[in-house]
Amino acid sequence: MAVYKRRYNSYTGSLTPTWSRFFVLTRFAFADLFKSRFFVLLLILCIIPCLFSAGFIFVANNKTLQLLMQLRPDMDFFQIESQYFIIMLTVQTQAAFLLNCWVGPVLISGDLTNGALPLFLSRPFSRADYVLGKLAVLGLLLSAVTWIPCLLLFSLQAGLARDGWIWSHLWMVVPIMLCSAIWILMLSLISLAVSAWVKLRIVATGIIFVTFFIPAGLGEMFNAIMGTYWGGLLNFSSLFRQILIRSFRAESIMGAFTRGNDIPIVMAWTMLVLVCIFALFVLNVRLRAREVVRG
Amino acid sequence: MTTPTIELNGLEVQLGGRTILHGITGVLKSRAIGLLGPNGAGKSTLINTLLGFHVPNKGSARVLGLDSHTSGKALRSLVGYMPENDAFISKMSGVRFVRYMAEISGLPSEQAMERAHEAFVYVGLGEARYRPVGTYSLGMKQLAKLAQAIAHGPKVLILDEPTNGMDPPARKRLIELIREIREASDICLLLSSHLLRDVEETCDEVLILRNGQIASICNLVEERQANRKFLELETIGAEASFTSALESIGCECAVFTSGRIKVVMPDRVEIREVFKVAADRGVQIRRMNHRRDSLEDIFLNAMEQTGAPDGRL
Repeated sequence: MAVYKRRYNSYTGSLTPTWSRFFVLTRFAFADLFKSRFFVLLLILCIIPCLFSAGFIFVANNKTLQLLMQLRPDMDFFQIESQYFIIMLTVQTQAAFLLNCWVGPVLISGDLTNGALPLFLSRPFSRADYVLGKLAVLGLLLSAVTWIPCLLLFSLQAGLARDGWIWSHLWMVVPIMLCSAIWILMLSLISLAVSAWVKLRIVATGIIFVTFFIPAGLGEMFNAIMGTYWGGLLNFSSLFRQILIRSFRAESIMGAFTRGNDIPIVMAWTMLVLVCIFALFVLNVRLRAREVVRG
Repeated sequence: MTTPTIELNGLEVQLGGRTILHGITGVLKSRAIGLLGPNGAGKSTLINTLLGFHVPNKGSARVLGLDSHTSGKALRSLVGYMPENDAFISKMSGVRFVRYMAEISGLPSEQAMERAHEAFVYVGLGEARYRPVGTYSLGMKQLAKLAQAIAHGPKVLILDEPTNGMDPPARKRLIELIREIREASDICLLLSSHLLRDVEETCDEVLILRNGQIASICNLVEERQANRKFLELETIGAEASFTSALESIGCECAVFTSGRIKVVMPDRVEIREVFKVAADRGVQIRRMNHRRDSLEDIFLNAMEQTGAPDGRL
């Protein structure tokens, strides 16, 4: 089909591996995202707390600087322990939530608005590939503001601290990654599910907020009326915080954050996994090449 | 023995609790197949089943020997699909949209870009390739859909109502393109259309569906080679003696109202003999139309044979 010949020729060149094609969606989505100045600004804002945090680690490990700043080096404030990473992850997961609210709602709706989905699915490309491609967009993006900077901060601290700090704190890598993973997965799947149903970004963003805040409020009401704590199962942010604190074995230090929420940790995990499964179910219903009207 | 292009073995498809395709069986061997039928006949369902979008309840459908259900991915790697409805990403520029689709089909990034440009120029949208697809006219969107269907160089091109919403010159250009694509390569074509002329101009074989069943499978090439000559006459005068005289020289006649007669002529009979018979019987021939059997006749026949109320699309 050379332009100068203006005739049709079939393609006989090489093909990319089938397993890697989902990444085409991710690549194109990123290219679109980075065209938006607002998105770039939001991304920078989400990373700024990590820069301050890096500065804090530097100060915490530099006695001379502390003296120059007239700070007492023996203050608890400068201890980089699990509490520090819990706060960091809490801040960064909230930043991830905001980023997700901006990026997530347009990922699938743009394809569904004008019926482009059959074009994807008429190729050697499954619905799972499609979801994986879109999930990778949010997965990579939210990773860039959660566990990746946290691990970098961990490495920075390990490099600056002495007395084998890294070996006594290496276990923290697991909760940093595990807690980030469940939060990223839940946020991504919820926003993809919303994006598959709602075309307008502003409405979709609103629904994502509602998904997190309305059930939490209802749960609190349920707790207040029934005198129980099971209503906390509807407060996803609180469940995540609980998982975070218990994974870092910091119940004694940071118990105040989860006071009144005695839901067993297994139930907290189960609830977040169920939310993910429900979002996948919604995606499965919505992402069809052809809609079938019953009756 | 060559692999049939499409093979249907007792294919039954139910959607929303309703049976759409009723166990259809047929083999289509030509490279260019037309799919005809009234609204609701099951054309789009058949296309969607061939693409693996619907799972057959019974039987199977094969394209180039690949089962649409069990070998769906392998089959779709051979297919270029142009859907009937709107199917595009409105904010993307035309060329980027086609490149995107080509990359999903497996073309490496550079080749996808090159082929996207080529496809756009080929379908005649070269000037508009950097405009967002959402700003295209209906005809341009149809061409953009064709571009994305051919950019990755498929072996089977499935076109669902390709000329929908196009003005006559654009339709003509699109039909020419489809014929060109068919002739320039070994691509197989499956074209579903309401316009008999589109199918007649581009296809070698026709599958006519009605109420989810096959009304007829007709090889147009063979039909064109073998079919008989027809004369449509409007006459004034002794109809009965005229038709019996024509039958005595080997013609078949069908008499309609107002002196209209349809005459099927064997090859050995010349038209001047018809004039001679008319002159001998004092019959005036007021109008004569000489033609061969058309797809319209085949279609109407198929509809009548299967009991369609009026055979109209």
